Amino acid sequence: MIPFKFSIAKNQSEALGLIHQHQHAAFLAGGTNILDLMKEHVAQPTEIIDLGRLPLSTIKSTNTGISLGALAKNTETANHPLIRKDYPVLSKAILAGASAQIRNMASNGGNLMQRTRCSYFYDINMPCNKRVPGSGCAAMKGFNRMHAIFGWSDQCVAVYPSDMAIALSALNANVKVMQQNGSERSIPFTDFHVLPKDHPEKDNSLNHGELITSIELPKNNFASHSSYIKVRDRNSYAFALVSVAAGFELEGNTIKTAHIAMGGVAHKPWRALKAEAFLKDKAATFANFIKAADLEMSSAKPLSHNKFKIEMGKQTLIHAFEVALKG
Amino acid sequence: MENTNKIIGKGIDRIDGIMKITGKASYATDYPAKNMAYAVLFKSTIASGKIVQINTTDAEKSPGVIQIITHENAPKLNIKGGLRGGALLQGPEIIFHGQHIGMVVAETFEQATAAAHLVQVKYQQDKTEKIDFDELAKNPEMPKGKELADLVRGAGKSALAQAEVKIEEEYETPIEHHHPMEPHATVAVWEGENVILYNGSQIINGAQTAAAATLNLKPEQVRIVSPYIGGGFGSKGGQWANLVLTAVAAQMVKRPVKLALTRQQMFNSVGLRQRNIQKISLGATKEGVLTTLAHETISHTAVDFEYIEPCGDCSKIMYEVPNSLISYRVVPMNLILPTYTRGPGKSTGSFALECAMDELAHQLKMDPIALRIKNEPKKDPSNGKPWSSRTTVKCLEEGAKAFGWEKRKAIPGTHFSGENLIGYGVACGTYPARQRDSSANIKLTLKNGQVYATVEIAASDLGTGTNTILAQTAADGLGIPLSRITMKIGDSDLPPAAGSVGSVGASSFANAVNDACGKITDELLAKSGKQFFVRPTANDLMISEKIAAFETQSSSKAPAEAEQYSAHSFNANFAEVSINKLTGMVKVTRFLAVTGAGKILNPKTARSQIIGGNIWGIGMALTEESVVDPRYGNFATRSFADYHVPANLDVGQLDAMFINEVDLIPNKMGVKGIGEVGIVGVAAAIANAVFNATGKRIRSLPITPDKLLPS
Ligand SMILES: Cc1cc2nc3c(=O)[nH]c(=O)nc-3n(C[C@H](O)[C@H](O)[C@H](O)COP(=O)(O)OP(=O)(O)OC[C@H]3O[C@@H](n4cnc5c(N)ncnc54)[C@H](O)[C@@H]3O)c2cc1C
Ligand code: SF4
Repeated sequence: MIPFKFSIAKNQSEALGLIHQHQHAAFLAGGTNILDLMKEHVAQPTEIIDLGRLPLSTIKSTNTGISLGALAKNTETANHPLIRKDYPVLSKAILAGASAQIRNMASNGGNLMQRTRCSYFYDINMPCNKRVPGSGCAAMKGFNRMHAIFGWSDQCVAVYPSDMAIALSALNANVKVMQQNGSERSIPFTDFHVLPKDHPEKDNSLNHGELITSIELPKNNFASHSSYIKVRDRNSYAFALVSVAAGFELEGNTIKTAHIAMGGVAHKPWRALKAEAFLKDKAATFANFIKAADLEMSSAKPLSHNKFKIEMGKQTLIHAFEVALKG
Repeated sequence: MENTNKIIGKGIDRIDGIMKITGKASYATDYPAKNMAYAVLFKSTIASGKIVQINTTDAEKSPGVIQIITHENAPKLNIKGGLRGGALLQGPEIIFHGQHIGMVVAETFEQATAAAHLVQVKYQQDKTEKIDFDELAKNPEMPKGKELADLVRGAGKSALAQAEVKIEEEYETPIEHHHPMEPHATVAVWEGENVILYNGSQIINGAQTAAAATLNLKPEQVRIVSPYIGGGFGSKGGQWANLVLTAVAAQMVKRPVKLALTRQQMFNSVGLRQRNIQKISLGATKEGVLTTLAHETISHTAVDFEYIEPCGDCSKIMYEVPNSLISYRVVPMNLILPTYTRGPGKSTGSFALECAMDELAHQLKMDPIALRIKNEPKKDPSNGKPWSSRTTVKCLEEGAKAFGWEKRKAIPGTHFSGENLIGYGVACGTYPARQRDSSANIKLTLKNGQVYATVEIAASDLGTGTNTILAQTAADGLGIPLSRITMKIGDSDLPPAAGSVGSVGASSFANAVNDACGKITDELLAKSGKQFFVRPTANDLMISEKIAAFETQSSSKAPAEAEQYSAHSFNANFAEVSINKLTGMVKVTRFLAVTGAGKILNPKTARSQIIGGNIWGIGMALTEESVVDPRYGNFATRSFADYHVPANLDVGQLDAMFINEVDLIPNKMGVKGIGEVGIVGVAAAIANAVFNATGKRIRSLPITPDKLLPS
């Protein structure tokens, strides 16, 4: 860790003012990711702006659904009665991540902003385009078992690690962001995280100095038919090899619409658009589940160590569909 | 006649438990010293080659920096002094990725860490570096060590040709790391020509002699203080460079210095369990009588020193078989030296042997327990010596009953529970029972009509309960209540003793304390000049003779007759797994270890030892793997986010049972040791259960979900 200055922002405009004064400043929410990155010299901010005092930790109903404060804790969000009732897939996804202690600290905004777990990204002695643009990608021909099978580029094959975000993607959430001049903009969740392309240093479409204020969840009518399935190397406290958030709007046994997102497979939550399109207006049968899963995984491009993710992706999709159907 | 008041054998709480949970027990970094400075190591980023230049200019200017130590200014040390793994800053040569190449000493840990990142190093890389195990293992070398020479019995492996039934399979185990809860750390304080090293050490006197020899000092100039240790699992058995480098730093900056390894540095500073490819060939008759057993292992070792865990050990003694071969081939690699790791050789070796036995049983359509019992050896097949006692069959039979083995479905993949597949597996294990030379001192004092004892012995307590079992031993041996016994261990100023390694700790220390109790009682009797009808205790004598203070020291060694026997602990492990049939995620829902380990001094601490071994065995079977990047020679799995030790959810119900066994041959107290055997056979039992559940035979650990996907 390099020495840094620490300031506490009392309100949003102070936070935005402070971050714009320093090019190498960073926000601190729960600190469960940024502090690790600082200890590893991956992030080297010279100024840390603590967001802890900002009034952004409420979870409340709105006309259009629910608003999750950016600083509300993951634990509080997962256990909130409204979330458990109307957005159980989000609750399950959050609880499938990290550990109770980390979830107690982790904020909703910080969760969206957490960086990849690619071990070469964390090892400052290794080439990594995400950490040092232009230095190369050690994972491309290295130990890439945990890495992407969709949407990667020859610059970066990392995956985005959040569980919460996979559910948010399936739920069509919006991320509310405040800019320096105090104006707000709203980013549809599917556009929030980006594919690596030629700029793997960029994880998302937030600009430096923008502040996430809330995550807006629209109403949905698949709460009773949704699931989150996470496959990992141990039964808790491990990042996903593959995960699936699924929700079906059903009419009898017909799927009106399917909402499916996958984790552990791409640089962003991977909306399973092919499977969604296939399942639309189809009977919710095991045979259709298999077809949808096959179709989605057919365009996967595995790396040297992660071919298994194709079969695992299929099985996890099918499993998630079955659990969602059962409700 | 058995004294029913005896406290040995009772499952009492650890006597230092409260100290530990209230934070009062001092571990290495807890020792305060005035004017402490902090050292942080920095490490090589190549696997093989030479340092051409170290530029410390920026680092030296960094706030708080006192001194930077590299091979250019480090004092000359004796590299053959008995430390493991080199990396003593004695020259520019690099032989593994992550080798220590220097340290920053600063006013605070944070300042030293920040400065360490400012050091710039230029290397000349050796392109012939040996870092790709898969490639190198194609052409392994003969080992240098005599104990690793080929061991052939009867017709050796060639008998396999005639066998009616055969199994020939390869089993792979990855690099594992010890990762004790307490990372290695040292505080060094010089007093004139002498140095005190506060440092977690499994072998107190071993650490002392190695540190002294390396520093070119006399042993009595070095004092090791290590009353509490936060685990070691072998990594604190031999000592590593960090111990002595702390002393060097303290000497150079003329202040006490603290050096604590980070969790990350633990991956390439203090040894590892080597990766192995084990080929097992079993030949048997149609009735299941073994005719051939060959166990051929390829392991890597370091380029400058040969150490491997001997994987063939269990195969030497577990089964009656006329023809056998145990062989080792090695692959020197530019990696940190492998070292003793819980159940060294036996945990990995038993995985291969006991899975192969399960494969044989399956092929023979025999129950795997029946197959094992059928091949039970009457005496030690490796040397013809009689067993001091052997409990394998008892462990299997009592375990099968307690576990409900009869509920196992013989046909794999046929036992369902909802969307999960259920499987049962069994595997056996063993570990030698030995006593090593140890001495103990006992001081008795009489105060207000009550006798108090202080027991002194340079034993070590890894957290396993050594303090407690020795206090229990002394309480019975002296007739003094436990509350009046003070234990002093973990200090090289105390009477020398063996270490907490190789399962010799409990037997060596407890016999030493017990003998000292006997001796002090004898001496008190002699001093009293009286004859007694019933032998009085030391406690009685101190009171009746009104002796204010009395002290004695004694040394103990294994009984001479022990040599004529083969003495081992044995176990049988039973695992039940539940596997999601779609995702392949495995959970060990039940595990039972039945152990014959002679006298159990404290069932509570013994159970903790066994289930601790079982949990690491679950990790070995399902989650733990350190991956070396064959392009760089570094670990691609470099934190606890990637190196998965089992979490609570991976561990179901654990039960430990002990066979009621009296075996006084290996030592007078009949203590056989449980530390190592707790992990032996565990991974095999789980892998066998996975086969029983799924019909998939996974011969490469760990069994992660990708290996169990439906195909
Ligand atoms: C051992 C471990 C295991 C984990 N396992 C999982 C897992 O299995 N699944 C999973 O999903 N997650 C996992 N996590 C990650 C965890 O969920 C994240 O670290 C956490 O959500 C981050 O939230 P935070 O508030 O602590 O963020 P911080 O660390 O405080 O911040 C993270 C980043 O977000 C930025 N930031 C924070 N708030 C805002 C805001 N309001 N506006 C703009 N930028 C902001 C910060 O500047 C920083 O760059 C794990 C973490 C650890 C340490
Ligand atoms: S995959 Fe991305 S994060 Fe990982 S090494 Fe390559 S560029 Fe860096």
